[in-house]
Amino acid sequence: MPGLIGIYPFGLGRENWRLARFVYYGLLALQHRGQELAAIITYGDEGFHKLSREGFVDEAFTENDLNAMPGFIGMGYVAPSKDQHPVFVESPVRMILIGDGKPGFGNGVQDSWRAFGELLADEISRVGDSLKAARQVVEEVDGGYSFMALTEDQELIAGRDIHGVKPLEIGSLGFDLGAVVSESSALDVLGMEHIAHIEPGEVVRFDPYSIERSRVKPHSRLNMSKCSFEYVYLARPDSIIDGISVYSVRERIGMILAKERPAEADVVIGIPETAIPFSLGYSRASGIPASLGFVTTGRKVRTAIKPSIFERLMGVQLKLNPIRCAMDGKDIVLIDDSVVRGTTLRNTVWNMKRRGARRIHVRIGSPAIMAPCPYGIEIPPPDELIARALDEREIAEVVGADSFAFLSIDGLCRAIGLEKGELCLKCWGCEKR
Amino acid sequence: MKVMGVGGGSREHALAEAIARSNHEPKIFWVSEDRNPGIYRLVKRTRGEYALARITDPLKVASLAEQWGVDMVVIGPEEPNFHGVVDEVERRGIPCIGARRRLSILEMSKAEMRRIQWRYGIGGKLLFKTYRSYMEAIRDLEKHSELLSWLQNVALKPARQAGGKGVKVIEDVQVYLHGEKSRFKQRHMRWLEDYMSGYTDIEDKILVEERVWGPEYTLQCFVDGRTVIGMPLVQDNKHAHEYDIGPETGGMGSYTGKGLLLPFITREEYERSLSIVKSMIDAVQRETDERYHGFVAGQMMLTEIEGPTLIEMYSRLGDPEGVNVLAMLETDIIDIFEAIIDERLSAVKIRFSEVATVVKAVAPKGYPDFRDLARDHLVEVNEALVEKLGCRLYWGSAHLDESGRVLTRGSRVVELLAFGETPHEASQRIEDCLAGDVVRLLDGWGLFHRSDIGSEEMIRKRTEIAERVRRLYTYRERMGILGKRVDWIPRIGKIDPVKELSHELFSRVGGGSYESG
Repeated sequence: MPGLIGIYPFGLGRENWRLARFVYYGLLALQHRGQELAAIITYGDEGFHKLSREGFVDEAFTENDLNAMPGFIGMGYVAPSKDQHPVFVESPVRMILIGDGKPGFGNGVQDSWRAFGELLADEISRVGDSLKAARQVVEEVDGGYSFMALTEDQELIAGRDIHGVKPLEIGSLGFDLGAVVSESSALDVLGMEHIAHIEPGEVVRFDPYSIERSRVKPHSRLNMSKCSFEYVYLARPDSIIDGISVYSVRERIGMILAKERPAEADVVIGIPETAIPFSLGYSRASGIPASLGFVTTGRKVRTAIKPSIFERLMGVQLKLNPIRCAMDGKDIVLIDDSVVRGTTLRNTVWNMKRRGARRIHVRIGSPAIMAPCPYGIEIPPPDELIARALDEREIAEVVGADSFAFLSIDGLCRAIGLEKGELCLKCWGCEKR
Repeated sequence: MKVMGVGGGSREHALAEAIARSNHEPKIFWVSEDRNPGIYRLVKRTRGEYALARITDPLKVASLAEQWGVDMVVIGPEEPNFHGVVDEVERRGIPCIGARRRLSILEMSKAEMRRIQWRYGIGGKLLFKTYRSYMEAIRDLEKHSELLSWLQNVALKPARQAGGKGVKVIEDVQVYLHGEKSRFKQRHMRWLEDYMSGYTDIEDKILVEERVWGPEYTLQCFVDGRTVIGMPLVQDNKHAHEYDIGPETGGMGSYTGKGLLLPFITREEYERSLSIVKSMIDAVQRETDERYHGFVAGQMMLTEIEGPTLIEMYSRLGDPEGVNVLAMLETDIIDIFEAIIDERLSAVKIRFSEVATVVKAVAPKGYPDFRDLARDHLVEVNEALVEKLGCRLYWGSAHLDESGRVLTRGSRVVELLAFGETPHEASQRIEDCLAGDVVRLLDGWGLFHRSDIGSEEMIRKRTEIAERVRRLYTYRERMGILGKRVDWIPRIGKIDPVKELSHELFSRVGGGSYESG
């Protein structure tokens, strides 16, 4: 689930731009997609420039880094793992490739992104036309991915797999810049216009003189497999993915959850930040007022995907400080976005009870996570997934709640507004026929 | 009857075609700098003559008109207007459809156009500042950016019409990107000064205008000195590339709805736009004491601050917008021309067919900003297939040489037009046509066009933006604050940026003067 950004200048004076700082702020907006590794890549008169660092974007790069980095084409990358580096291909075409998701090369291939980069470079050199070559690669390579490659010939090529698993959106700035990003909110942060999304199976090429698009023959809607996890959990709520507002999906999830799994309570509380939209939707549909229940300390940390248990627990302590008066003496619907191991939730429920909460009905704004993601989203191994081991009643007991319920898979699809067949639901244990 | 045309692009090809359709059975005579293959064919078919000459040379063009003994002359592009070709042709007693030199100031000087608009209190205005040098601009922007906050979000333009080149829009809202953007802005202004030094007919070099947002549309009109008659609205698409990305061009394609309006512009907005254009014509006629005969167009935008707003004016038809309306025109164009010459346009019923049209330009890679790359490629067109697939082809920036080969000249090489029930249908027709490789460069150099022009998605987006803007400007109107700008600066107080314009309006008169030269 890395975050990708590419920014490209057009027209007169295009080489006057310095885009490293644009990329930097774009990456800040995409930080939630990967917090272990960050890279800024530019292309200028002297060729490629590359800065790749571990950690958070605003710690990884300094003012001096940005001031010293020339280049009028920019590309940036954040990854959730220290091992997921941008791929540098030397020959037959010199280029740098970044990707989100996982190209399907079978089990024999260790590093599927390197394999993808090498295949792309080979095809470009064989076919001659990089757009045609990229489309062929997308047609051949199954899996769930989006990618961006910057070649030495100043071509920025971006594309999505034929199922549209991973997002890619397009934006512009004035008469000068075009951009391709994982999420539209990065465009907003850069003051750019969000224009469209790249279609599943489509590749787009920016070169100094044109933008060209080519698409693998349109697949029927049933062949789509858009990642539902993006809408529920991964993406920022201010993003729009494939024309669907993430915030509106999350609000609808809350509303559907209130219908599917009602509870009697005095107040609805969402766990910041991702579950707030669910709680507002739940409140609206149920008529139970919503309240702010927690204040967070420190930067946003994604607890479910933090590597070690120690870091995870630290994450919880910092993340959630209860607001006493919001819960003291009250029956509460507590909404979270997902449950992986149950650790975070148990701590939270315990904290709330100590602050005077009476009954706590836990509702989860997503179905139970049952299986690993084949496209690279880091989900703990199956034996660490509580929903695989326990039913809802048992989970309630473990976390100390009075009741516990997940969103149904049907409810999720309705909230997104797509058919079951158009979504990837593998992590919820739902395979396609 | 003998009719002579001036100019060699797709708009002129469409003009020649409209003239050829006339019941007056005209013989067509033409002059342009390159030999347009499409116009050349029409000239041959009607047994006229074709000359290659500098079309900004009034004496040359007028002499040809005299020599051929034509009954009227029609000007296609703007530069002949700016250079007084109309004045010279008329001086020799030959009627001319085109704006005289001093009248064409509306287009030639974007700064003077704006000054006239403000001085006459005409609606749809924008704040602006003009500079005669890069250094002057830098100094002034630095001095005033505290006081006039609109200067942070601006369009930078050459102060003179310069073939749609050099416009940049810089929104400097994100403090953290300010350094990058102001650096780029400065470099661009320096470039503008250099670029404008090639034009000696205007003192203003750089125009800085308030940045506005909203859907754009072009209102083209016939004018006879008394009456201004509006044509169906057209939307042109200025960005070079797909998704509305990339540099400003002369226009990569345009579409009309069925009838007078675009799907996202109301009747009332049309009327208001027309009244703005009429008022501008009145004003420039009063300023010059001359009569405007020919085409005029308002490049409009629906904006939050003013409602229908005048962005720029043309002293001619748009290109490609002219191709749309000429293809829709049902009335005999020579009847219209005669009515313009006799100033009795109000008595003519001008009809346009009730059908949607789309025009798409095809250009060699390199257009618009690296034209040397786009020039001198051999081009081949399969006109039979174009026709079979229900489209029309207009030759643009191309030259038919003595040996019958056609070479690109660096701009849009052809424009394709299709009709449809909806713009989307027409757009699709052109896409099918271009997919059949109807236009090719024989040396393998790339061509590009925009697949998205006229698409449902594009119109849906424009409609969405129009509705957003309409909500805002109609609210301002109800509150009585349409066109009002106000700002507050600590320790200084309330600022009315309009009052700060007085320097532009009064002390600079003559800056791009229509009296000089």
